[in-house]
Amino acid sequence: MENNNDIILKAINKSYQKGDNTVVVHDNFNLTIESGEFVALMGPSGLGKSTLLHLMGGLDQPTQGEVFIGGQRIDNLSQKELTQWRAQSIGFIFQSHHLLPVLSAQGNVELPLALTPLNKKQRKEHASMALQLVSMSERADHYPKELSGGQEQRVAIARAIVSDPKILLCDEPTGNLDRKTADEILALLAKLNSDLGKTIVMVTHDNKAAEYATRVINLESYILQQNKEYAQGEVSTVNESKVCEILTASSS
Amino acid sequence: MNLWLLVWRNSFRKKTRFALTCLSVMVAFFLFTALAGVNHALTASVSSINQHRLITSHKISITRSLPINYRQKIAALPNIEQVSYASWFGGFYQNEKNQIAVTAVEHTSYFDLFEEYQIPKQQLAQWKKTRTGIVVGQALANKYGWKIGDKVPLSSSIWMNKSGSFNWEFIVSAIYQSNKLGVDDKKIFFQHAYFDKGRAYAKNSLSWLSTKVSPQADVEQVIKSIDTLFAHSNSPTRTTTEQVFVKEQAQQFVDMAMVINVVVIAVFFTLLLIVCNTMIQTIRERLNESAMMKALGFSSSSLISGIYLESLLLLGLGAALGSLLASLLLDVVKQGLGDFLPGIYIPLQHYITVFALVNIAAAFCSFFPAFKIKGIVISETLGGKS
Repeated sequence: MENNNDIILKAINKSYQKGDNTVVVHDNFNLTIESGEFVALMGPSGLGKSTLLHLMGGLDQPTQGEVFIGGQRIDNLSQKELTQWRAQSIGFIFQSHHLLPVLSAQGNVELPLALTPLNKKQRKEHASMALQLVSMSERADHYPKELSGGQEQRVAIARAIVSDPKILLCDEPTGNLDRKTADEILALLAKLNSDLGKTIVMVTHDNKAAEYATRVINLESYILQQNKEYAQGEVSTVNESKVCEILTASSS
Repeated sequence: MNLWLLVWRNSFRKKTRFALTCLSVMVAFFLFTALAGVNHALTASVSSINQHRLITSHKISITRSLPINYRQKIAALPNIEQVSYASWFGGFYQNEKNQIAVTAVEHTSYFDLFEEYQIPKQQLAQWKKTRTGIVVGQALANKYGWKIGDKVPLSSSIWMNKSGSFNWEFIVSAIYQSNKLGVDDKKIFFQHAYFDKGRAYAKNSLSWLSTKVSPQADVEQVIKSIDTLFAHSNSPTRTTTEQVFVKEQAQQFVDMAMVINVVVIAVFFTLLLIVCNTMIQTIRERLNESAMMKALGFSSSSLISGIYLESLLLLGLGAALGSLLASLLLDVVKQGLGDFLPGIYIPLQHYITVFALVNIAAAFCSFFPAFKIKGIVISETLGGKS
């Protein structure tokens, strides 16, 4: 299944300057995630899993290479364009929920809708619906300090889906939760994937969490495989014809 | 939920810090507004004066008298429209605590020169016909409940009358009003002729002469010609415009105002640093939230606008409370010190200045947080290390 909602990372180079040293995180990295997939990115620390997530979400830009999300190349967008694009296209869920303590659960979920043309009533309705999806309707008026860790993360998920983005990027969403609560959150993400068709990319260290995904990418072996194929001159994991198709569509 | 609500809630997030910072702002604007009111009292009388009126007094000191015939000599000079004169009587009513500014004036001409004292024509005519008549300011008449025709005994600590007493009898003949700010409506004027005839000594002398020069005249030239005229006499003169004269009298207060001004500027600057530091601290505490909001799609400029509005709310609230408190206090001071310092008033322009200052200060206080917000790298602030 291929469509314009795919996530495509093409020939990505990413390096950081640390003092006089250049730290290379990714070198000629390629990845395609198809629309509707629930992908778990796994592997040891330091391999650049979160970096990949940030590149997909437009929070960071590659040193070289191209990032296509939903048919749009985003690595060459300005910060202003990226900000607008993020508001419409991506939902983020972090390990720490980062809810605003001065707003109720309802208020936090409504927050991204302040950037949309929706009126007050519509915003309220959308937020209520999102809270309902994460089974938090009864806690809508509660403030973050009145919620448990799991409930806070549910509200954060509601905030991520309220503007109906096609893609959810989750950076260790269950890292701070106990097993039972983590399972509830993962089940919720799986439900969003299966019932609502959200494309989910989740960085995790948790093997159990990976069980909820439709595809698990172990970054260490994935990179090794890529390098091997590159050395042998074999076809990269990126679907070249797909990229050409998107570029043609964008230019026309 | 809207952004205004977020600004409002964020402002009151640390209630104690908000209250203390707001209190600092309040104190600064209280001082600023109170000074503006006092400053107006000190300078209004100077700025409202007709620049074509001259004051001539003894060269050495205004306490020394001049011969009364100087009036004719000055009147004979070119470009002089009118000359009048006056003598300081000083005085008090009933006891020395009730000090009143009482002046003996040449009754036929004085109020032609000083049109800022508004006296009904009939009353003025009556006063001119009544040797012991006095013209009383409306505020003073109200204070003591004086009406036209009332007999008012006034005492002088300087001038003894021919009967050896310091008590003088007067009749209220006219009451003046003034709709001009800075004109004291708590004075008393009486006829110089009555004063001259009644006093026990220093007859045919006066304290100062008031001269109205023609509008097209070179004022400096007229001043020079008056002082030259009496340069070699027993009573040499010093002539200035009335504006300079009043300014010199008020100089000690004006200097004091300057000192207070400097203090207020210092306080204001310190305050600015305090508020600025508070806002920087605030944004540092909320770095993760700001990064999250940026990740959600909020632009840096919208977050900076939020910080600006928070600064504006903090400074605006403090400024409003400080200014309100100062204006209430000045109302009380005006009741108590009105005799000593008339013209205490906060002009509208001051509130416009406060409004502008609050906005400028809010912009200044948002400046450094703006850099912080602009420099947030979402991936570094929120991102994991995996």
